[in-house]
Amino acid sequence: MRCERAIDGRPVLRFTSGLEIGLGNLAAVAVLTVAAVVLTTLSLTVGFADTRVTDLAAAWHDGQDYELQFALLNVRLPRIVLGFMAGWCLALTGAMLQSLSQNPLADPGLLGLSQGSMVTILLLLLFVPSAPLGLIPVAAVVGGLAVVALLVWLMGGSTDGNSGLTLLLMGIAVDTMLSSVSSILILYAPPEISFAVSAWLAGSLFQASWGSIAALVPWFTLSLPAILLLGRAMRCYDLGDDTAMALGVPVTWSKPLILFVAVLLTSAAVTAVGPLVFLGVMAPHLAGFLSRSAGRARLVLSALTGGLLVVAADTLVRATTSDLALPLGLSLTLIGVPLFILTLRLRALATLRSE
Amino acid sequence: MRHLILSTLQLVVLTTAVTVPLAFADERVVIDDAERKVTVPESPERIVVLHEPLLGVPMADLGIVPVGSYGRADDGGSLMAVDFYRTVLGKDAPAPKGIGPVGGIDIEKLRALRPDLIVCTEYDLDKAKRFSGIAPVYVQNSSTGRIRGFESEASLARLLGREAVFDERKAEYQQRLAQVRESLPEDPHGKTYLAILLTDQLNALGEMSGVVQAVEDLGYTRLKLEKQGLVGLGSTLLVPLSPELVGKLDPDLLILMNSYAGKNRDEAGIRTDLDRILPGWERFLKPAREGRILFLDSVSVTTPSIASAEHTLDAIAEWVADRERRVEK
Repeated sequence: MRCERAIDGRPVLRFTSGLEIGLGNLAAVAVLTVAAVVLTTLSLTVGFADTRVTDLAAAWHDGQDYELQFALLNVRLPRIVLGFMAGWCLALTGAMLQSLSQNPLADPGLLGLSQGSMVTILLLLLFVPSAPLGLIPVAAVVGGLAVVALLVWLMGGSTDGNSGLTLLLMGIAVDTMLSSVSSILILYAPPEISFAVSAWLAGSLFQASWGSIAALVPWFTLSLPAILLLGRAMRCYDLGDDTAMALGVPVTWSKPLILFVAVLLTSAAVTAVGPLVFLGVMAPHLAGFLSRSAGRARLVLSALTGGLLVVAADTLVRATTSDLALPLGLSLTLIGVPLFILTLRLRALATLRSE
Repeated sequence: MRHLILSTLQLVVLTTAVTVPLAFADERVVIDDAERKVTVPESPERIVVLHEPLLGVPMADLGIVPVGSYGRADDGGSLMAVDFYRTVLGKDAPAPKGIGPVGGIDIEKLRALRPDLIVCTEYDLDKAKRFSGIAPVYVQNSSTGRIRGFESEASLARLLGREAVFDERKAEYQQRLAQVRESLPEDPHGKTYLAILLTDQLNALGEMSGVVQAVEDLGYTRLKLEKQGLVGLGSTLLVPLSPELVGKLDPDLLILMNSYAGKNRDEAGIRTDLDRILPGWERFLKPAREGRILFLDSVSVTTPSIASAEHTLDAIAEWVADRERRVEK
């Protein structure tokens, strides 16, 4: 392993196997990891029961203070863990789809993947109300996959220079159509289902538990090999389909594969916390502001940023819950969008200065 | 590795310890309205309700003070537009502690109240499983088509062993009902009524409220709207009505109320809001021309409680007396 300069002059760590990691990206991962630890620590202290960080160890070993144990182990920690994993999956999907469509606006919500999952979940709840809860993630995956199949069919194997834009526009059209369908389903569903679904649509970690974490863990784990295996192709897709093909990426099957992985991750996250709109757009942009990256590094940084944003948003929800009902989606917007605007402005200023 | 396994086991044990509900010496198994088997204490003492007007008020009317109620602050103050307990039950009404604002239940607050029973409506069925780790959760139906008048108060009385109190309250109500019926200028049997609640539109009132119970017990029957194209009453408290349709209707008694959220729930406020939705209603609405409109405070009369039904009777008695005074003049 040696510290060298890359072709663009940035310092990198180069391994004997040929693997190259930018020092800037490593530093950004370190910053985000530290931020995650600090935020988790802070988040553990936010809530109705008055607790300090040291109480977690006491709750773990002592076992006497049930209030403390309940607050930390049954409410706050599951919310933090589930929120981080869901944010990770959604942001990772956003980064994948942006590379795939070569469009910074691509997001699981914008391409209709989240809506596809929601429609099938609603159909299951409406027409098979006695279905076991374990079927909900399956329904979500089926819905998401159906949207992917539809998009692939509509694209008709198009690999021209505008295929990314075509994919995005098709996705927006499918999303709009499906959101109308889900609105009609919610409108005519029994009130108990409508109320529950409406709360879920606004984003919520209310149902976070160790059980829901266990349900999301396999998909979260799947994201790690996905980053490793698909990361390189992402770097090529950033340059356009033609260049990706020229660089040896098997475009005809790698695109559907990436979409398939995106569906699995989105469906799992959406089932757990609801569709967190705009997270898939925000997180990769914020990560890109921290450190310019591509491929695997971009995926890791985006996922970490997404996880952090959701944990921060949930902390805000719990901090304000005494007299204000703040849905997770709104809280995420309140935190993420100002940061998003700020980073865009700073980037614009930096570009102006360099010119 | 051994340490990891031990730590995991410890986590499972701790989690189970804090999620398993406390065991009670005197318990019984009941089937709630969601067809779930629920083990409830024989005499629950620390009840949390997840709906103030639909569950809290009927319960308080039975003399049971919930320890916690959804939509209230930590000091017991209301976080909603109106305090239902105070408005329906008077100044001595309970002020339960809050468990978070509507739409944002704080599970830690709920647990801190140490409830031995949580009662929710079918709208909160999705939360029942989450809360079952804190206390048994009983689902009480509260929507139109599933419950009428103040039936949910009777149901809660059975659940909480307050049948005697309910019978006593009902006897008082029946007595008041007989008095009001006698004071009416004509027999309401065979006559129709329609209750409308104004939000930003006109809404027919559903079936689960004190006002519906009182008016129907007096002998009025709900005006059928099937011929006008309105099929059923949905399942919530309100079903939207077209202003054109309302303009043509001619019930023998038209009851008008303003939204809970509005500040002006009195007659003047209702008239002002109706002017906005249905301009000129005083000229073309037949019940208005013939003085057959009863203006009521929606908060006082729409909870599914005997207290709300009594408020309705009082308002009707006052309305009849006022009409008689005007005739005498």
